[in-house]
Amino acid sequence: MKNQIRQIFHSPKFTLGFTIFALLLLLTIFYPLIVTDDPLEMVGQGNFFKPGTYISVKEAVDTDPYTLNLHTSTSRLEKNLSMDERMAMADWLQQFAGLSPKEVDVTDADGLVSLWKEHYDSASEQKGLIAARKKYFSRLDKKIQGLLENSDVLVAEKNEETGEVSVKKTIPSTSYVNVSEVGSKRVFILGTDNFGRDVLTELVAAIKTSLKIGFIAGLIATTIGLSLGLIAGYLGGFIDDLILFITNLFTVIPSFILLILISYSIGKNARGVMMVAVIIGLTSWTWTTRSVRSQVISLRNRDHVNLSKLSGHSLVRIILTDILPYIASYVVMALILQISSGILAEAQLSMIGLGPATTTVSTLGLMMNWAMSYSAHLNGDWWAYFPVILSIALISFSLNLMNTGLDQIFNPQLRE
Amino acid sequence: MRKRHSKLTALLTVSAMTLTLLSGCQKAAPAEGTVQTSKAEETKVTAAETSAAEETKAAEEAGSTPRKETLYFNGQQWGTINDWNPLSSNSNNAMAIAQQDNAREIVYETLFMYNMLDGKLYGLLGKDYSWNDGQTELTITLNPDAKWSDGTPVTAQDVSYTFDCHKKYATAQGSDYANYIESVDAKDEHTVIFKAKLDETGLPVNPLKVVEYVPKIYVLQKAYLQKVEERNGNDADKIKQDRMDDFVSSGPYKSYYNDDQKVVFVRDDNYWGKALWGKLPAPKYITHVIYENNAAGDTAFKSGEVDVSQQFITNVQKLWEEDGLPISTYIDEAPYGVCATMPTAFFNVEVPGLDRKEVRKAIAMAVDYDQIIASAMSNQSPNFKDVPRSIMNPTSAEQSLVNQDALKDYQFTGNDVEGANALLDKAGIVDKDGDGIREIDGKNLSFKAECPDGWTDWNASLEIVAAAGSKIGINIETYFPDANTFYDDMTTRKFDICMWNPPAASVANPWGRAMAFMSTDYANLKVNWTGNYGGYINDKANDLLKKIPLETNKDTLKEYYTELSRIYLDEVPSFSLMYRPMLFHAVNESVWTGFPQLDDGDNIPPTDCTDGYGIAALYNLVNVN
Repeated sequence: MKNQIRQIFHSPKFTLGFTIFALLLLLTIFYPLIVTDDPLEMVGQGNFFKPGTYISVKEAVDTDPYTLNLHTSTSRLEKNLSMDERMAMADWLQQFAGLSPKEVDVTDADGLVSLWKEHYDSASEQKGLIAARKKYFSRLDKKIQGLLENSDVLVAEKNEETGEVSVKKTIPSTSYVNVSEVGSKRVFILGTDNFGRDVLTELVAAIKTSLKIGFIAGLIATTIGLSLGLIAGYLGGFIDDLILFITNLFTVIPSFILLILISYSIGKNARGVMMVAVIIGLTSWTWTTRSVRSQVISLRNRDHVNLSKLSGHSLVRIILTDILPYIASYVVMALILQISSGILAEAQLSMIGLGPATTTVSTLGLMMNWAMSYSAHLNGDWWAYFPVILSIALISFSLNLMNTGLDQIFNPQLRE
Repeated sequence: MRKRHSKLTALLTVSAMTLTLLSGCQKAAPAEGTVQTSKAEETKVTAAETSAAEETKAAEEAGSTPRKETLYFNGQQWGTINDWNPLSSNSNNAMAIAQQDNAREIVYETLFMYNMLDGKLYGLLGKDYSWNDGQTELTITLNPDAKWSDGTPVTAQDVSYTFDCHKKYATAQGSDYANYIESVDAKDEHTVIFKAKLDETGLPVNPLKVVEYVPKIYVLQKAYLQKVEERNGNDADKIKQDRMDDFVSSGPYKSYYNDDQKVVFVRDDNYWGKALWGKLPAPKYITHVIYENNAAGDTAFKSGEVDVSQQFITNVQKLWEEDGLPISTYIDEAPYGVCATMPTAFFNVEVPGLDRKEVRKAIAMAVDYDQIIASAMSNQSPNFKDVPRSIMNPTSAEQSLVNQDALKDYQFTGNDVEGANALLDKAGIVDKDGDGIREIDGKNLSFKAECPDGWTDWNASLEIVAAAGSKIGINIETYFPDANTFYDDMTTRKFDICMWNPPAASVANPWGRAMAFMSTDYANLKVNWTGNYGGYINDKANDLLKKIPLETNKDTLKEYYTELSRIYLDEVPSFSLMYRPMLFHAVNESVWTGFPQLDDGDNIPPTDCTDGYGIAALYNLVNVN
């Protein structure tokens, strides 16, 4: 046994797969201990906030400022006006202010802005310009005004009784705060989703759910498949025919369609994580039965089995001690594959809206479903779907790697 | 050993390649954006190229039209069109037939066009309208220039015969309006008189419904209707199912081409409306490509293949702020459009539990509307703090008919979990068996909230409703069946909570919306497509609803509407989840420009250049040069 385990871990494929899998598993165990927020809490009010650190503006205003002599208005212009914007301004000046290309120098932000301030008027007709472009220029103008603004920002306070507004604080443009001194902040490493939920926290919870579903589904499918395969293969005769008949029946009905029909008929409320796992397990056992059966058939006429029979050992004992150990390695590999396909099946089900309810649990498929519905893939909100795809890929990749690794150890034909 | 090493190397190479591939995918999104930005700046070139390409294709492909002469739409037509029949109740020809408060005017035309911005009616086939003193007769003079596409004039007989047909063959519209309109008579060639139906006391049943007919129902040609009647042997069902491929209409566009890929309309250059508008509408062709789904439509819109989009676009402002596309909406800032409707969750008051007003109110109080508006609607709606709840939509015309101060004690802005819990506790509706769900008579409060599958923003809204339920110990499960199953559930009251739009902006509103919230008549319908789907009955509200159509004094009306709002907010037979534009209206100016904008002084509503007075926009369009 020890030797076998050592052998297994000598297989680079298995080791790599196992490491990835173990890391994911550890993530689902330890991340919730560190970040204790509810993964389903709708924190952000809006869709798809970008990844980053969000600090409270109110507290930032109240935090003691540091004065840093950075970004005076000229360098602010140079820094904040992109080349595209300067080109657009130059175009406008040439087209509507009648300036010659020589007069307009895009490399000199200062000069360009002063020309702009002199000539631009949002109310002018700007003939031939489409509305979207007019709006672009008026937004650009606003931005420039903001950049030129050198005066202090005033923070005012409203007197509850009199309704009078008085200056509470002034903030000069050289004021900075140290982010670590702001108490209220939240880091969204992977941004938020369409409901404003923290994607990373949700993702970890989803991986956990998916693994759970995979394990349960895999165990159920393997248990059913193994027992039926053992009985059919060892007993043969009528029972074999009967079991094979049922198995074939289930093989010809596409299991995914069966999965859809069952999920649809039991309704969303009853479709908890456990239920989905059980449904998946109940629809995916067939191929395990068939392959276990064929292995058992080749085993049942071996000498040691016949010897056991002659010694009068019971059926259960023969199956458990004389047959099962010979196919144990195969069963483990089958289990791994079943887990992997169970996880994929859940993702597929949830994608088409037949998984567990959105408000009760997060799963990888549900996350994909909502990201798709809110066209995250079209709008470049990669954080809402890409980590999910990557997680699904990593889970099944690692499981499959472990499987091939094991195969190399246990399959005499592949053994090196 | 060496073999193992080489295998390990192979494995590493594969994973490295996979990772490169994946990171490549990750970069794809911004890269696409840059491509689009440059595209936007070279609008001229792209447009010219496209139109050149289109022209060469035109010879080969049926229904192709030059890009520069064609206005493309999305978000209206989702399948092959089945007929051109305005009498049909299951026509899916969305671009041609939409007899609604703001009727689509591109193929068939109504007497008047409704403008939701000022709430007024503008003449089209009709020129003037006037009531007599008792509001029993509405006299309409027709526009003498109006002609059918076959060149014959539009006459009073046509208007009269259209109504007769609707009534005779009991179309959906006919069976509705026959309750309020006695007859439509031709006084002379160009004058029609709508006679209102009178009740026992000699008063008109509902003058509002008479006026509502005018901007809503298309005028059809008498001669053509007779032809259709004849070929179907006067059989009502057959007439309603006639495809009417040879239709005669009065609008500016005719059918040009249609198949399962697209619908194309071509301008009628002899259109009579030249006399009314002073010119023809700018686009020679109007094309609606039939897209597979929203995502396909969005992609086409962003790339400039669609000019006018009637699709909900998440974070629409990103399209111009971040992607720099030549896309704009009616208003440059949130809520980006004119919100005239208010998608509402109706409670089935016959379901045990929901027959208690405390339960209904608690659910309505606990829902986080700010979250719905910010995330489900991506801020394309004003919130309930800016526009406090009543039965009114946010337009100023309707808001002026309600006294907001008198409703303060009844209004709720949402996310009030504490208040909702207190309300339920006080009513004795508590969780006795400790499973986290409150009970009434030992039965757990558990409800199903439904709306059609794939209506993304509605699906998300109901998820937020369900989340609120779990905070106040009421189990709410979302259920998104296909549209037909949903219609069946809604119209025959086989639901717990269902989401639907009450009437939006029309000449008959806010009365029509109040009816849809609380009318006893609607509650008693066996198959209810009209409103008050949950069957709420309140005699006092019903009395007020009966009085309003006959009332002309604005102050009294305000009093009535305020009282109705008070009852509505106190009893909560339904609650609105958000305000929403009647139509989404985003335009891509790659090829066409001159679309209506807020404060452009034209007073043209953002109704996709096709609906009600919004069609005026078609005459203002010009090519981007």
